[in-house]
Amino acid sequence: MTTSDPLTGNSVSGPFSGFGLGLRRTHYQDFLEGDVAVDFVEVISENYMVEGGNPLRILEQVRAKMPVIMHGVSMSIGSADGLDRDYLKKLKQLADRIDPLWVSDHLCWTRTSAHNSHDLLPLPYTHEALDLVCDNIDHAQNTLGRSMLFENPSSYMTFPEDEMTEWEFIAAMSMRTGCYLLLDVNNIYVSAHNHGFSAEAFLNGLPLDRVRQVHLAGHTDGEIKIDTHDQPVCDGVWDLYAKAMRKLGPVATMIERDDSIPPLPELLEELDMAAKIAERSRELEPA
Amino acid sequence: MIAAQTLTLAEKQQEFMAQVLDDERALPDGWTPRHAAGMDIYRNAYRARLVDAVRDTYERTAKWVGEDAYRQAAAHHVITHPPKSWTLDHAADGFPETLRELFTNNPEVAELGWLEWAMHQAFVAADAEPMDAAKFGEVAASFAEEDWASMRLTFLPGTEQLPITHDIGKLWRALGDEQAETPEFTLEQPLHCIVWREGFKPVFMQVEQHEGHALEMMRGGASYGEMCETLIEILGEERAVAEAGAILGRWLHNGLIASVEK
Ligand SMILES: [Fe+2]
Repeated sequence: MTTSDPLTGNSVSGPFSGFGLGLRRTHYQDFLEGDVAVDFVEVISENYMVEGGNPLRILEQVRAKMPVIMHGVSMSIGSADGLDRDYLKKLKQLADRIDPLWVSDHLCWTRTSAHNSHDLLPLPYTHEALDLVCDNIDHAQNTLGRSMLFENPSSYMTFPEDEMTEWEFIAAMSMRTGCYLLLDVNNIYVSAHNHGFSAEAFLNGLPLDRVRQVHLAGHTDGEIKIDTHDQPVCDGVWDLYAKAMRKLGPVATMIERDDSIPPLPELLEELDMAAKIAERSRELEPA
Repeated sequence: MIAAQTLTLAEKQQEFMAQVLDDERALPDGWTPRHAAGMDIYRNAYRARLVDAVRDTYERTAKWVGEDAYRQAAAHHVITHPPKSWTLDHAADGFPETLRELFTNNPEVAELGWLEWAMHQAFVAADAEPMDAAKFGEVAASFAEEDWASMRLTFLPGTEQLPITHDIGKLWRALGDEQAETPEFTLEQPLHCIVWREGFKPVFMQVEQHEGHALEMMRGGASYGEMCETLIEILGEERAVAEAGAILGRWLHNGLIASVEK
């Protein structure tokens, strides 16, 4: 039987691929009125996990025009306290309503049972954390009734008790749970700088056949680089993207911009740059 | 402090969260200056994100008190009310109370804050069709005399109200207009401010106190008959009869009523 699951690639054309942007409030009108030349949009799930009103209506109108990816920031897949039932229920409601290409979140934790940091906090890469994350991913995927994508985060510290590298952790996580990967090239670049590892070792250590989406973004430079999504993609990240695209199969690429958001044409130009790099990389032999 | 290796992941996360919330807290054993530098980034990001999130809801209030005073108030709120919920919107809950405590000499600040909070709630409240006068007339046509007394109403999701002592409506409009001068915002008598949603747009109106009480009662499940009795106590029999009808008409006209039950 032929299905058309964009994750497994069980379709004539294989896994979904294309170039997209985040759907942000400042560009709502552009997406509603014009034919914006993107293959998909990605939304922050939490912004639409509401009872009703205009944001949901707009999302449904955009969804009628193009595929939508739901990208979350609050699942807290690494929480030792387990997952928030209310959160999962609302996420599933939104997924059932929007029928997204897929649902993603980050490999991190954001909350304890008492508090929510609303930030992507780092996990120690230990066997204990791996077991916990895998249990939580099983729970989330079973509840949603679909496989998810998890993204490598930017982080600003590592822990003395780490027992494996981030890429070893991600590889094991994907193998054990069947989840797919969202590869954030900027986050690799930022974390490699911050923790002194090789970005290429990171790429080489991942099961790249599990990657279904790539994030590109800008960051703030400094002794510790910070993932701020408030400026254009830098040359170093473009280079790393080119290297990644030589190794990856069909994937969706998107540019994240969440602060100092420029007019849409500027972002489309940047996205065009991504498309050109991807095309050039494909013409080269796999590295 | 116990070495990190002997702590469970849950304990490590509780400690990490405590570090994020409290920048005076001593660092765990084994953490180096490099860890401290990393923690500084998480602490700053946490505070900046929440102060910005609160501003998303209280834009006019921030403008009214000025950026420095706003930042201080929001930072205070974040420290005294660290968020518990997954939705960032809830970080802004309770901020009008914080404003009431901090701006004791300017009580209009908390009222303006409440208005912005209520409009934000209404913005994403569940969708519902209001009942118009014609539809109400159809339902009421089948009412027997006693059905009027026992009639109960439900209101549109997102409907909120507050007794006010300042003309926050005037303030709200002036703060949305770059050209506008500071308006006179005292009120001769206290009013009630009612917020609801018209289509996809949150709106508000300021009504006399007795209408505010009437709405409060009926939103709380009181019957129309009970509401009328209260109006009689406040206004006297003659005025109350006329006002009860006028109020009902106004709520229907403004699209506040979702359904009616006899
Ligand atoms: Fe990302």
